[in-house]
Amino acid sequence: MKSLRDKYCIVGVGETEYSRGSGRTTRAMAVEAVRNAILDAGLTPRDVDGMLDYQGGDSTLANWVAPDLGVRLNFYMDVFGGGSSTEALVGLATGAIEAGMCHTVAIYRSMNGYSEFRIGGTGVRAAQPVRSLDLAQVPFGMRSAGQNFAMTFMRHMYEYGTTSEQVAHVKAAHSTHASQNPKALLKERVTVEDVVSSRWIVKPLHLLDCCVETDNATCVIVTSSERARDLRRRPVHIMGVAGRVSKPRLDFHWAHGPITRVAGYYAKDIVFGQAGIGPEDVDVTGSYDAFTFTTMLQLEEYGFCKKGEGGQYVSSGIIELGGKRPNNTSGGHLCEGYTHGMNMVIENVRQLRGTVDDYCPRAAEGVHTYDYAPGRCRQVKDAEITMNLGWAIPPTGSALILHR
Amino acid sequence: MPQPVQYRGMTLIVPDNDSEWKEFYEHARAHRLVVRRCTACGLLRYPPTHACPWCMELGWTWQEVSGRGTIYSYEIVVHAIQPGFKELTPYPVVLVELDEQRARPTPDESLRIIGNLVRPDLTPEEDKNVAIGKRVRVMFQDLADHMALPQFTLTDEPPQGRVWRLA
Repeated sequence: MKSLRDKYCIVGVGETEYSRGSGRTTRAMAVEAVRNAILDAGLTPRDVDGMLDYQGGDSTLANWVAPDLGVRLNFYMDVFGGGSSTEALVGLATGAIEAGMCHTVAIYRSMNGYSEFRIGGTGVRAAQPVRSLDLAQVPFGMRSAGQNFAMTFMRHMYEYGTTSEQVAHVKAAHSTHASQNPKALLKERVTVEDVVSSRWIVKPLHLLDCCVETDNATCVIVTSSERARDLRRRPVHIMGVAGRVSKPRLDFHWAHGPITRVAGYYAKDIVFGQAGIGPEDVDVTGSYDAFTFTTMLQLEEYGFCKKGEGGQYVSSGIIELGGKRPNNTSGGHLCEGYTHGMNMVIENVRQLRGTVDDYCPRAAEGVHTYDYAPGRCRQVKDAEITMNLGWAIPPTGSALILHR
Repeated sequence: MPQPVQYRGMTLIVPDNDSEWKEFYEHARAHRLVVRRCTACGLLRYPPTHACPWCMELGWTWQEVSGRGTIYSYEIVVHAIQPGFKELTPYPVVLVELDEQRARPTPDESLRIIGNLVRPDLTPEEDKNVAIGKRVRVMFQDLADHMALPQFTLTDEPPQGRVWRLA
């Protein structure tokens, strides 16, 4: 497998407020997030000449966002997609630069995911007619993400003995992380008991197994390592990337088992192969938490533990701040806010810079206490390598390995 | 063009040029469960697709299957998303592994189909009766003159393999 290891960097990150009711357009939010990322990188609008975004007919496209900021584009593309797009587009951005099409690419996602287009299939999405492949599932009352994914987890419980309590540790850990994050939507710490006693949404998923639909925009900026050298921030290097890797029978993945196997089974060799490292070398993970169990399932599929032992892994303390390999230190989708994956990449970039925005008095200068008691620090000490595991659906995922 | 079918607040559309589903639903309305059979390699596939996923052959015929199978996985929707389903909650959705072509062409592949698990009167089966490993058979829910949904109901056959449900 060809590798562009260390030739490209993420040099800027930015976002808007995470809210449930932004009161403004996806255009306004996208412009703010991209602007924040440009400023974070120490760039000017003239330094950005590429733009990529992803959406599901629910956002504002690049041709309206770039001109608002005075950015003239040499390359742009609007991609249809949700989860797992961030990592894939980081890879495409490096490819566009490598091909000589542009030199610096802003990648954004802007969504009123609560107040306008809810992921759960209510409102605008629910009104859409059901046709073609959707006829195999939707008429049976199987439309939302939770309804689409629940049978995967149920079969995992059957095959491996995984329990609700085990995956509830994911929510408990991420809520702890979010309590150290001033911008998180849900900052309250919850326990395993809170999760398993919350009401059922679709068995085996409780309310607190599900992430929190959010209004927000997010952005990361990719450029070459040469350009990154004299920018404002410590560059974060791209070691390996895998984009939208899929299982066979993507049309109806239930036909090709085991259904407890997810895309990471195929993606791991691509991304670890490029990076030249293994799971044991990773300090921080960002395993996509659309639901508690999606975090678990991907961590085991990428080899952070043996297949089938994800339940033990996520309930062992490893994924908590202060543990051996914390996951989603911002609180992720379960607590910080639902962004279709981008906030988890942003968080890992900040971890590698040593500048997460926690409650440490000198966080902005990169001085941290590493005291993980409530209301304190969420910086991981000496984080060298991070990995994002992006989830779209059980048979499709992406991955991104970064180092400082 | 056939009229769109209104079902539980959803508009189900199967236009005349829907080369995948139109005849499937004609058979379903006659209470026959059909899948596509590749004319080259003979393997069965569901949902209906244009080419064979194993040999890329375009030729196919409809083949009726028994509609008997085993629950491979399931979920119980307690909080309905679609307004038309709220009165049905809690309702089970099941992934059924049909008896035909089990563990073929590879050990992990099978002919699987999604439906609701219902009682003979088409109301949702009770949560406590739903379990992986239990045997089911297809039954049809007529929606219109040109459309019926394949659904599944429990049989009294002995289960296949280990029976397990979420406690």
